[in-house]
Amino acid sequence: MLASMYIYLPIAEISMHIGIIIGLGGGVGFLSGLFGVGGGFLMTPLLIFLGVPPAVAVATEANQIVASSVSGVLAHMRRGNVDFKMGGILLLGGVIGSSLGVMLFTFLREMGQIDLVIKLSYVVFLGIIGFLMLLESVRTIMRTRRPGGRKTKLHQHNWLHGLPLKMRFRRSKLYISALLPLAIGAFVGVLAAIMGVGGGFIMVPAMIYLLGMPTSVVVGTSLFQIIFVTANVTFLQSVQTQTVDFMLAGLLLFGAVIGAQFGTRASALLRGEQLRGLLALMVLAVCIKLGFDLVLRPDDLFSVELLK
Amino acid sequence: MIRARQFILGFILLLGMTGLAEANSGRLVADLSKSNIAITSGFHGTDLLLFGAVDGAVGDDILVVISGPPTDIAQRRKANRAGIWINVETNIWQKVPSLYTILATSPINKIASPETLASLEIGTNNIGLEIAAETPVAGRPKPTANEFIKALQANMASIDLWPDQTGNVTLTENALFRAEVKLPANILSGTYDVRVLQFRNGVAISEDITNLYINKGGLSAGIYNFAHDYSALYGIFAILFAVAAGWLAAAAFRRS
Repeated sequence: MLASMYIYLPIAEISMHIGIIIGLGGGVGFLSGLFGVGGGFLMTPLLIFLGVPPAVAVATEANQIVASSVSGVLAHMRRGNVDFKMGGILLLGGVIGSSLGVMLFTFLREMGQIDLVIKLSYVVFLGIIGFLMLLESVRTIMRTRRPGGRKTKLHQHNWLHGLPLKMRFRRSKLYISALLPLAIGAFVGVLAAIMGVGGGFIMVPAMIYLLGMPTSVVVGTSLFQIIFVTANVTFLQSVQTQTVDFMLAGLLLFGAVIGAQFGTRASALLRGEQLRGLLALMVLAVCIKLGFDLVLRPDDLFSVELLK
Repeated sequence: MIRARQFILGFILLLGMTGLAEANSGRLVADLSKSNIAITSGFHGTDLLLFGAVDGAVGDDILVVISGPPTDIAQRRKANRAGIWINVETNIWQKVPSLYTILATSPINKIASPETLASLEIGTNNIGLEIAAETPVAGRPKPTANEFIKALQANMASIDLWPDQTGNVTLTENALFRAEVKLPANILSGTYDVRVLQFRNGVAISEDITNLYINKGGLSAGIYNFAHDYSALYGIFAILFAVAAGWLAAAAFRRS
């Protein structure tokens, strides 16, 4: 009976327990709804850990993030928390960046170094982002606990905002250069393709700290952009590497769309700085785990890959 | 089922006996309980029965080698560079059997000498595997099979494709043999060779070869072929499905 709970994944070419796949989707989906991130930074390493070939994990996860982001963005749209103009600029950059990223991915895969680059990118970006977010949320929590704490400005202007091509983003209450969100979108797009993530964990802090967007619209807008970038990655990986496992993505997203709904509701119960603090801790945990894997001597110095 | 199988076994045995001209040469017929296996969505490895009849004598051994389908394997070696363990060397094994399993009535070192096994090409050490650097570097010595085969065997054993344990074959009355064959969930599709050998006093005296065919089937084959034959369409379909699923979920939860 138990054997019938296994499913053979046609592209990954491995057999996995259905409960594990759906449970993984549900758990990560919940977190993605809670924090407004795609959850890919957790899902992709977990899939690789469970034996899914890294290339398949990265490409399939992009496909699954499309679904959880659509589901998440609809909830935010109803509350008017999506800045479509800002999202459009970010997405233009994202499509350019993710197309370059898939090319880079194919190149690194041929070099045999894709695993290393995936892991190093995780350690570096998760480490920086996690640390900064933790610092910020601890500072905010301390400040609000102290009576008479000073109010912060809506956002700080810096020289980046003054670049040419200034645009007004009414929903975000900003008048800044369009080049800035374009560059952020492109950068996150490259990461999306290489790391198998939506890039929310980079984009959300970048939108808050670099662009100075109000926190309320950040999550919805980032989800909006992620839909299109991950769709682009799904398409390009399907064509170039045939590594999108539709069966795996379908089961993951079945769990994830349900989990994301609960997560989105739960996010209303927590305060912004608490959310950010929790996300920071989780990001750091993944970073430390992957970092150890790179530094500790592996049990077996040799590894094999069946080439077909 | 079992009765039918016994009947067939008996029949095969009879055929073998009557066709036997030289009393000492030995004869052997083997078959599989199923020779076509489909990797469908529910596939999680499979068990099958290898059975057959042999004109044997006391002390005879049966040895079975299942191998197939050839594939290239990239073998990477890690080393510490600036504190980080990274792949520093990649060699490609050419046309390696992706599955290699031995089953026998006794430990194989008791069945025949290493020289005999080598001459019969039994064991992954003895099948003339070739290795080459992925990108040959001038001045660097070429990799040799001897140098890397142990690591390959260990890696392949850990993913169940080259089990390091010899499986069991039961020989009854020196005439009927049977073996339970477990195929792992991660086997490749393709054609497998099943070689069955009869040993007497350390010498192989008869041999039979049958084939086992493993193919993707059902939905899993459909998805695989779709992804490879119409990859752009597959990508678009995957995206639309994801968008629809996300939309449906959001709609369903809004109502409730």
